[in-house]
This record gives sequence, C-alpha cells and structure tokens, in this order.
Amino acid sequence: MPPPMQAPQNKIALPGVKHVIAVASGKGGVGKSTVAANLAVALHMYGQRVGLMDADIYGPSVPIMFGLGLVDQTRTPFPVEQYGLKLMSMGFLVDPNQAVIWRGPKVAQAVGSFLAQINWGELDFLIIDLPPGTGDAQLTLSQQAPLTGAIIVTTPQEVAIIDARKGVRMFEEVRVPILGIVENMSYFLDEAGKKTALFGTGGGARLAAEAGVPFLGELPIDPRVGACGDAGEPIVRKYPDSPVGLAFIQLAQRLVNDMLAKPQVSALPEVDL
Amino acid sequence: MSSPNDIRPSSLRRDGDGLRIEWADGPSTFVTWRVLRSNCPCASCIEDRSKPPNPFRVLTAQEAAAGPPTPVAMKSVGHYAYQITWNDGHSTGIYTVHALRTLSTIT
Repeated sequence: MPPPMQAPQNKIALPGVKHVIAVASGKGGVGKSTVAANLAVALHMYGQRVGLMDADIYGPSVPIMFGLGLVDQTRTPFPVEQYGLKLMSMGFLVDPNQAVIWRGPKVAQAVGSFLAQINWGELDFLIIDLPPGTGDAQLTLSQQAPLTGAIIVTTPQEVAIIDARKGVRMFEEVRVPILGIVENMSYFLDEAGKKTALFGTGGGARLAAEAGVPFLGELPIDPRVGACGDAGEPIVRKYPDSPVGLAFIQLAQRLVNDMLAKPQVSALPEVDL
Repeated sequence: MSSPNDIRPSSLRRDGDGLRIEWADGPSTFVTWRVLRSNCPCASCIEDRSKPPNPFRVLTAQEAAAGPPTPVAMKSVGHYAYQITWNDGHSTGIYTVHALRTLSTIT
C-alpha cells in the first residue's frame, strides 16, 4: 500500500547535524531501543558528537536507560545531557506511570516538535529511536526530517523477520536509504565460549541479502545488557570489553566509516511554477 | 536495470497547462494538470473515484470559482514525492516520483 496518505507539515532543517540515522524495526521487542542507546554511546566513545531522540511516544525508554526520569520542564533545558550525549524523550515530560493516550496526528506532532523545537546544536550523529511498526512516527520522519538513512534491527527468527521486512519495504517506498540490518540476540555465549543460537540462525543476514542491503552484524545475548539498561548505564559504557560492548563499538566504527564513504542523498529538485 | 526507486527527476517546471519533467535517466515527460488532479492519490479522492459518478453532484463555491485545475504550490516531500496544492483548495494528495513518471508521457 502506498504510504503518502497524510499531508506533511513543513520540512525540518537541522543544519548543525551531519547525519540523522533512524533505528527502526517492524516488530517490537527486538531490542531496538537497546541498540539505539548503545550505538549512540559507542559513537560518542568513538569521538563523535551524538544526540539520541526517542521517537517512541507511547513507550519511551531512553530516560531509564540513561539513569534519568521525569524532569522539571520549567527548569531543565532540552535536550538533556548525560554521558556526553544530548537526549530527548517523551519520558522526560510524562510521568512513567501515566499512559500517553494519543491518536496518530498528535504523535506526529510530538515527533516533529522533538526535531524542530529542540536545539540539537552541532552534532555528527542524531540517532532516532523509532517505535515499532510503519505508522505515524515513521511517516512523519520520512516526510519532514533530513534522514541520512535507517538501520533495521531484527532478531533471527522468522516471526521477527516478516515484520522487519515490512520496515525495509517502508523505507524503500519513501526512499530513505537503508544503511543495513543489525541482528540482535543472535546467540548466547557461555563462559566456555560456546555459542547457542536460541532464536535460530541467519535471519538477519538472509533479510539483508534479500533486500540487497549490508548486514551490519550480530549482537550476542548477554543478561548484563538488560541489567545495564535498567540500571541506567548502557552496557557499551559499563562493559566496553564484553562481547556485546565490542560488537557495538564495531558497529559504531562501521557506521562512521560508511558515512565517510557514502554519498549523501540529495534533496528532490524544487518545482518551477 | 534501474528499479522504480532509482527513478529521479532532475527538473520540474510548468509548461502551458501541465507539468514538464526532465528525468535523470534521460526522458522528458509531460502531464496535464487535469490528469494530475483527476488522479489525486489522497484517500478521499481514491474513495470518490471508487464510487459511481454522481450526475447531480453540485460543485462547491470554491470549485466553481477555481476553473480548470491549476497548482498554486508544489513542494517536495521527503526524498520520494511531491505535494500539490490546487486552486480549488485541495492539498492532501502526495504524488510519489514513481506516480509522476507513470502518469506522464514521454514527449
């Protein structure tokens, strides 16, 4: 089904931001926010100036992953800074015990406001943590934001791949370059170094091959990933030498190198009426 | 062979009663405003086109005053489409680059 069923608002320019990267997936629960948070921190560890925008309006997770919570809006300048990153999330504005019960256009408006009304300043990367699916937040960003590209996160099993494929299709439809597929929870690595693939193998690589986009790598399962997220310090910062930490640092290095090598997508020409 | 998503306009301009598009892969195409307006891809126009024609439909005052369809604005949307605001006030149609190529003819 073609996507353009909603009139876009004005385009948003982010002149100080070099690369705007959306981290997306078709399916919820694949670790998209974990990947976005750790990738953002890893990019910062790699010397980049990084912002992280939580576009999951209904289920924001950036505040807890960075040891933050509700802030006093009258006294706190946005974006909030933590671990050297600039952060924005609905979770800074709404009590975590309160549900955000909004229809789509309001979500689109909030996402647009996060982009346009927050002073992101000078950044090498603005990572956008998208909600699951192919709905209002994704469409708003595709139409209004100067997206450099999207990273699709999936887990290996087919039930995740079928939804990730929809995410790939959506970004193809709106002509946002797909920078690659990241496979999360690929295997459990025990203390003896033995890998156990709990959710099957090769799903992410198959999807990448099928879509003709790069496969950016596998991220192992490590119970500390969740524990670090809950404790407010992403694992790549807390345990940078762990297999997961190293995988995130490699992902960040690859993204930086890819951005240097990749030509920017130029805007469509304006119409001479 | 290029995929539909590789097709890209290099310039777009008004040409008489329509739109002239020069494409990056070579062709020059033309489509009248009337064809574009009657193929508006917005949800309400698609629904209207699926219904039998109503011979007793009364034009709104704005439609009657507008005359032949003419764009008053045409802006790019993301990397994939253009949004046209028409002289009858309608503006919810977003024409993908692929749709513009399909609706226009090589001249």
